[in-house]
Amino acid sequence: MRFKILDSILGKSELPTAKLDRLFAMSTASITMEANLGLSPDGTAGICFKPIESSKYEAARSEIQELLSYSARETGTKYRVEQDEYRFLWVVLEDPHFDDLVANVHLVSTTMVEHGFGERLLCAVYRFRGKEGPVFWIYSFKGGAYYPFAPAGGQNRDNSLEFRLRSVMEPELPIEKDVEKWYPLWGIPL
Amino acid sequence: MLFTMFLLFLVYLAFLAILASQGAGPTVMIAFISIFMLIQYFFSDRLVLMSMGAKIVSESEEPQLHQMISRLCAMADLPKPKIAVVNTPMPNAFATGRNPGNAVVAVTTGIRSQLNQAELEAVLAHELTHVKNRDVMVMTIASFLSTVAFYIVRYSLYFGGAGSDRQKGSVWVAFFASVVVWIASSLLIRALSRYREYAADRGSAVITGQPSNLASALMKISGVMPRIPKEDLRKAEGMNAFFIIPAISGSSIMNLLSTHPPTEKRIAALQRIERELETA
Repeated sequence: MRFKILDSILGKSELPTAKLDRLFAMSTASITMEANLGLSPDGTAGICFKPIESSKYEAARSEIQELLSYSARETGTKYRVEQDEYRFLWVVLEDPHFDDLVANVHLVSTTMVEHGFGERLLCAVYRFRGKEGPVFWIYSFKGGAYYPFAPAGGQNRDNSLEFRLRSVMEPELPIEKDVEKWYPLWGIPL
Repeated sequence: MLFTMFLLFLVYLAFLAILASQGAGPTVMIAFISIFMLIQYFFSDRLVLMSMGAKIVSESEEPQLHQMISRLCAMADLPKPKIAVVNTPMPNAFATGRNPGNAVVAVTTGIRSQLNQAELEAVLAHELTHVKNRDVMVMTIASFLSTVAFYIVRYSLYFGGAGSDRQKGSVWVAFFASVVVWIASSLLIRALSRYREYAADRGSAVITGQPSNLASALMKISGVMPRIPKEDLRKAEGMNAFFIIPAISGSSIMNLLSTHPPTEKRIAALQRIERELETA
């Protein structure tokens, strides 16, 4: 931490690297989510990243597409790539089997990291069906933790539901402690 | 922002001059300088926002701006600053606040209408890097040190030289020495400021991954890029006869940017970063 401050005072800029180690925690957590909160997986997930101006990025992109089409044959996962209104790219995955979704999210993010684009990863998102509409669990690659996001119409979010999700899921899921980093994602293409 | 700083500096010099004329010693003077610097350090954000007429905007007022900055902060793992908008057609953006927890990033309505989304995002990433690099703190400390150096030179020459019966000459030596120190230190501070700008440009390139967006934003706001006219040729033909010099805006902002490196050099540096990204 000390060194980080020194680096920024000296004006050095590097993006923090992506932390993938706790991404898999969602796999088991989804069971508790369904049993205790009545939130069932909606069969869609996505990975959001910021593309870079580089031909190497194109190479990574085509490998991801290749891997996904291979994995699609294996697991039957459907995928598509979409750009949102802030020009971030989304790999949107669809599969009724939750474990296959988690595996493919992991596949895409590790491929990005292997190609040296780990720091371009913004987040992974899992969509769940709540009683009053969709609820999202967002994994921040920079923080290496999840946080809930419950949109409640317009630009509002259901904070009390989000806090309830946190208190129930905290023993099982690594949850971002700093609520100031629970950034909303409006217009998620899932 | 620079004009405010200049005014602050004038008030501060006047105050010091009064103190000195009342026969205050060097310790008293340095204590006062420190107090001034602390005030500037802790209230700079509010002073700057007030003098620029910047208005803090909430998420519901400016959802796009908030979303853009949230995503950049999530990418760079930074706390999200407050966001302000200044209602002026002059294209500009600035960051203020003593540390990342108290930071404010402000944009003018002019810059928002001139830049496209990608360019605006690059400018915001530049300002966020200023916040991350703690540039307000670095520049405050730098100017504090230079002011202290100035007074040390002045006092040591003034009191040290001639003993009890002071010669008239030593007063002039003290005066010139302090002027030299002041010029040298202000040149150094300007150099430091330019270095911080390059660092912020680099930070923007790293966060967005697209250095060319900042380059085109810089060209647009500095007026380097010739403006593509919007009105019909036949209409413009008639109007141009009345203008001696074609109206080119953007020159007034260059004065404000004088502590910044020339746009051409910044763009050249961004092109080097782009090549680095390509070959890394």
